[in-house]
Amino acid sequence: MSATPQRRPWWLALAVIIIGAIWLQQGYVLPDAAGYGGVGPGAFVMLVGAVLILLGLTLMIQIARGASFDPQEAESAEADAAPSYKAFAFAAAGAAIPLLTMQVLGFPLTAMLSFVLVTHAFGSRRVVLDAAIGLVLGVICWAGFSWLGVTLGGALPLAGW
Amino acid sequence: MDAFDSLMTGFGVALQPAHLMWAFVGSLLGTAIGVLPGIGPALTIALLLPVTVKLAPTAAFIMFAGVLYGAMYGGSTTSILLNTPGESGSMMTALEGNKMARAGRGAAALATAAIGSFVAGTIATLALTFLAPAIAELAFVFGPADYFALMLLAFTSVSVVLGTSRVRGFIALFLGLAMGVVGIDGPTGQARLAFGSPDLLDGIDITVVLVSLFAVGEILYVASRYRSAPPAVNPLSGGRWMTRQDWKRSWKPWLRGTALGFPIGALPAGGSEVPTFLSYTIERKLSRHKEEFGKGAIEGVAGPEAANNAAAAGILVPLLTLGLPTSATAAVLLAAFQSYGLQPGPFLFVNSADLVWGLIASLYVGNLMLLVLNLPLVGLWVRLLLIPRPYLYAGILIFAMVGIWGVGTSWMDLLLMFVIGLAGYVMRVYDFPIAPVLIGLILGPLAETQLRRALSIGEGNPLVLVSSPLSATLIVLALAVLFLPMLLRKLKANA
Repeated sequence: MSATPQRRPWWLALAVIIIGAIWLQQGYVLPDAAGYGGVGPGAFVMLVGAVLILLGLTLMIQIARGASFDPQEAESAEADAAPSYKAFAFAAAGAAIPLLTMQVLGFPLTAMLSFVLVTHAFGSRRVVLDAAIGLVLGVICWAGFSWLGVTLGGALPLAGW
Repeated sequence: MDAFDSLMTGFGVALQPAHLMWAFVGSLLGTAIGVLPGIGPALTIALLLPVTVKLAPTAAFIMFAGVLYGAMYGGSTTSILLNTPGESGSMMTALEGNKMARAGRGAAALATAAIGSFVAGTIATLALTFLAPAIAELAFVFGPADYFALMLLAFTSVSVVLGTSRVRGFIALFLGLAMGVVGIDGPTGQARLAFGSPDLLDGIDITVVLVSLFAVGEILYVASRYRSAPPAVNPLSGGRWMTRQDWKRSWKPWLRGTALGFPIGALPAGGSEVPTFLSYTIERKLSRHKEEFGKGAIEGVAGPEAANNAAAAGILVPLLTLGLPTSATAAVLLAAFQSYGLQPGPFLFVNSADLVWGLIASLYVGNLMLLVLNLPLVGLWVRLLLIPRPYLYAGILIFAMVGIWGVGTSWMDLLLMFVIGLAGYVMRVYDFPIAPVLIGLILGPLAETQLRRALSIGEGNPLVLVSSPLSATLIVLALAVLFLPMLLRKLKANA
């Protein structure tokens, strides 16, 4: 394998513990309507939360002992390479942009924006061509899936379409 | 009605022109996605789920079955020609197959993989035909405690078998279980973990989670570590096809691979990694050409490929008869059943006989179609690899958006897509398995229901969970599975 420096992702274990704590607390505050079985709506939630906390603590022990975390292999990707956070940011923006635009600009234009951001993340620099391809793909998907009975909202809600 | 009559009825369904067409579409799509990186059968079926609004269940499942089998064929093509196994089951194939291709024997490797997959797929479907009704018959006597114990077994086995670390496997599983409890609690009508959002009252849709983890997570991960060098495809032309000797060396590994793949695939532990790995080890031990292993031994392609395909059929046994998914793909298929209001299990064979038997019959048909599609058309499939990666991954994101926005045009789903996509990225970087999340998400609510039902019957006494011999055995097995990885590690050390 590679000579990657040992990583100690404490925050990962902490995140698991926090999620567990939220579930435990939320399960605890649920009103108890246990019925015959003595198991109300909160019991299973609390169980899941408690186990997550235990697992998070176990993970913390493993990290302290120096457990290795090797990135998974994927096609077209170099698992051992140093990650490019710039590329990551563009791809993440492509996944986040629908939050802002989907309800206003509709599916085809949102698809175009996402397409441009992701192709940019992968190193393409022909923005106009990428936008054109993205728009065509977005329109085809919107029209095709709407025809198949999948609701994808208006084509351009801003204009009232 | 015995299995043979039912199967004939099934063929009557599967051979209707419209259904043949859907089987063809599924096989075509499945092969294509098997060849392309970044998308697997589970993701494809999840993206096709919205289409079920308009499609009759039988047609939809025939198409999904084509995708499931087609992806196996396509996966072997890329692992042989590119040394990039598209899914974990093709890892062993890549080992020997790619060496064969480099030695100019790519055509023979592809042929033994395709024919082996066909042989294994057909035999395994045959086994499914006669085994599934018998198991479904048995499942009628399952009580809530038995079902709960069975799901416990599935939980421990997927967490232990998939991935490298048990702790990380269980964290993945429990994150899935945690998402599974979101929404309105059936028996009491209480809103759980909805945090005041009306969109969360319906729960978190499995399509959203699956598409975000597999597609969005993968895109982010590959983007951050992108290797822009074009893939080196081994040339196909000029090599000899399978010789007489190749056939002689292939047929036994095909059969042995099937014998390993089907039963292991059918177990709740399931999956295709274990049988393909075992098949490879066994073939290497039994081969008379041991010196060729590591340099392109045809047995090392024939056996694991057969095991891989047989395991895919095996996975359908617990899914159809018990409603128990043991892989990510099976989890989506279960979601597909649920979206039609169907619950797989013993009653499916009674209430939806046409659907089940049409599906099983279409597996035979699909296998034959795939053999025809793959033997002469390999060159065409390889062309798909020429799609520029930026367009491929950006396109996958658009399809992911269709899948997620199409669930209910909900802004909350888009938020979940982003957050769970980031989680998918983190899971890849820190080597957490993804399938347990989906199994937890889809089986968790079912397990909770069975648990509460069992405890109600036992009036709160937890001993009711081990009161029947079956449930006690299953719980013991579930605990035993926790210690399986040590055994596997020993096997790997010997290999």
